[in-house]
Amino acid sequence: MLRHLNGQLGPDEEAKVADLLRGNAGARAFLRAVAEQAVVVADVERLDQHKPQPAKVVTAVFRPWKWAVAAAAAFVLLAAFVIATTPPRHAAKVSDILGPCQYIAADGKVRDEVKVGTVLRVGDTIRTRSSRAWVKLDLNGGSLMTIAGRSRLRLLNVDGRRGFQLAYGNLWATVAQSAGARPVSIQTPTATVESKVAQFDVETHSMTSIVRVNSGTANVVRLADGQAVDVVADHQAVVSARRSRPFAVARQPEPVNEWSCRLIAGSGAVFGKWLPPDEKNSVRLGATPLLIGKKATVFVANFSVQCSSSPPVLIVSGSRVRIRGTTRTEGPVYFGITTQRIKGAFFGKYTAMVEAGALGQAGEPWQVEVPLSQFKPMSKDLPGSPAGMELADIWIMSREENAELEIHSVKFLPREVRQ
Amino acid sequence: MKRLMSQRDRVSAAAWLVVRDAHTAEDIFQNVALKAMSKPICFETDGALLSWAFITARREGIDWLRRRKNEPVILDETLLEQLEREWADEALGQAGGRSQALRDCLEDLPAKSRDLLKRRYFDGHACEAVAEQLGARLDAIYKRLSRLHQALKKCIETKLEQPAG
Repeated sequence: MLRHLNGQLGPDEEAKVADLLRGNAGARAFLRAVAEQAVVVADVERLDQHKPQPAKVVTAVFRPWKWAVAAAAAFVLLAAFVIATTPPRHAAKVSDILGPCQYIAADGKVRDEVKVGTVLRVGDTIRTRSSRAWVKLDLNGGSLMTIAGRSRLRLLNVDGRRGFQLAYGNLWATVAQSAGARPVSIQTPTATVESKVAQFDVETHSMTSIVRVNSGTANVVRLADGQAVDVVADHQAVVSARRSRPFAVARQPEPVNEWSCRLIAGSGAVFGKWLPPDEKNSVRLGATPLLIGKKATVFVANFSVQCSSSPPVLIVSGSRVRIRGTTRTEGPVYFGITTQRIKGAFFGKYTAMVEAGALGQAGEPWQVEVPLSQFKPMSKDLPGSPAGMELADIWIMSREENAELEIHSVKFLPREVRQ
Repeated sequence: MKRLMSQRDRVSAAAWLVVRDAHTAEDIFQNVALKAMSKPICFETDGALLSWAFITARREGIDWLRRRKNEPVILDETLLEQLEREWADEALGQAGGRSQALRDCLEDLPAKSRDLLKRRYFDGHACEAVAEQLGARLDAIYKRLSRLHQALKKCIETKLEQPAG
């Protein structure tokens, strides 16, 4: 019987189960018991994990005297009933977390500490608050989602779908096919991305979203004009808020192993503040304050490979990060890189601290080259080196406001070939 | 509505037999409840209400399946009707308390057993996935689930037989 409920039986065995059920009242009673137990287990777990309303509120809504009130009151009761008893449509459980995050419940309650095992329901929001943060979510049925960097994700109530809103930031999703699982629908400021089965990533900002599909298919709708395209494996689409921009599916370019963030074009710098040119530097991106918790502010500039229109960048052993900039104090500066698997899911983050001594005299422009070997994994689960992974972004951070950190050039260089 | 709410577990369970997903079954029950509220006619008897609720839940479940691909094979509709009739007969012939008894029995389960049920029915994992997660053989998972279901069934019956107070 349990094999039947698991969908494991072939047609002959199914027929035998049907015969058994027809002729055996005990078998039917067992099947009914299993079904009741299944829904009550889910109900109890739902209440335990979320506790949205005490059960007695539900009972109170349905007291008989309420049926005698006028039509308007009945409508109010109906609304109350729907709110009180409609369960959240889907859930996501935090399976891994690192760095400063914030959980904003549907009822507006805010928690700055989020733990593994926290269950997000429809209406709940999770934010990763700094460049070094990430949160992995288990959507049930083998589907997974990761947000990282400065990202904000909310669970939405979308009819017949597991809805999400990615207000900004980076998301990696693996949507697995499983019995009863609904498609995933992700809304960004410029696009809607829907998929039944796929592995894809989305980077979104206020004016643009970039969707890259590595396996399966995702349907992408441009909100500016309602145009829709199917993005298949190894392809990508850039979705702008402007209708005048092209909206087409393109094959993902072959990876390269070096990257020069085109700051002059502007699109690669995704977090920071442009400063007017001075006599020494025509391009200056100032680090922007980022509140990452109570009484904790850092100053960050962030550069995205995808947003700079570069092909994917493969990290190889011996790669180096070369940054030019200035700071006005003698404090250290931190470099960080976000990595993902080549044509795959989020991998992890690595950071390196650059001591003041390597930056030269305060206020003078510096150029620092940090080899890959000096980048340390931010989680003990990560290997010592991200070689073999793809570079998603680079960030530079200072803890001091008066450092006035500014960046003039960002490069990711391949291994030096000695003659 | 109060009468329908008292049969929530049974109606949801009937929907679950079709869709095999507890959250969808709950969604279906909510839809049934909303339809009941907006229905212009009153049901003369509890039996009529329950019969209508089971049929509506079954149809919603089948519609839900039709909108999806690769769904499990469901039981023959005549068999589903028979199960629903038995549920309805049981509900009419039995005072309340069964639902609470089941919840109490679940509370009394060891954490490991409850975890297994949660993975299978709340998380919605197939038995194969549960076996992989727990590092157990598939047969062992079926056996453990079967024993748990039997134990819960017996626990409910015992609790219902106990005199109140």
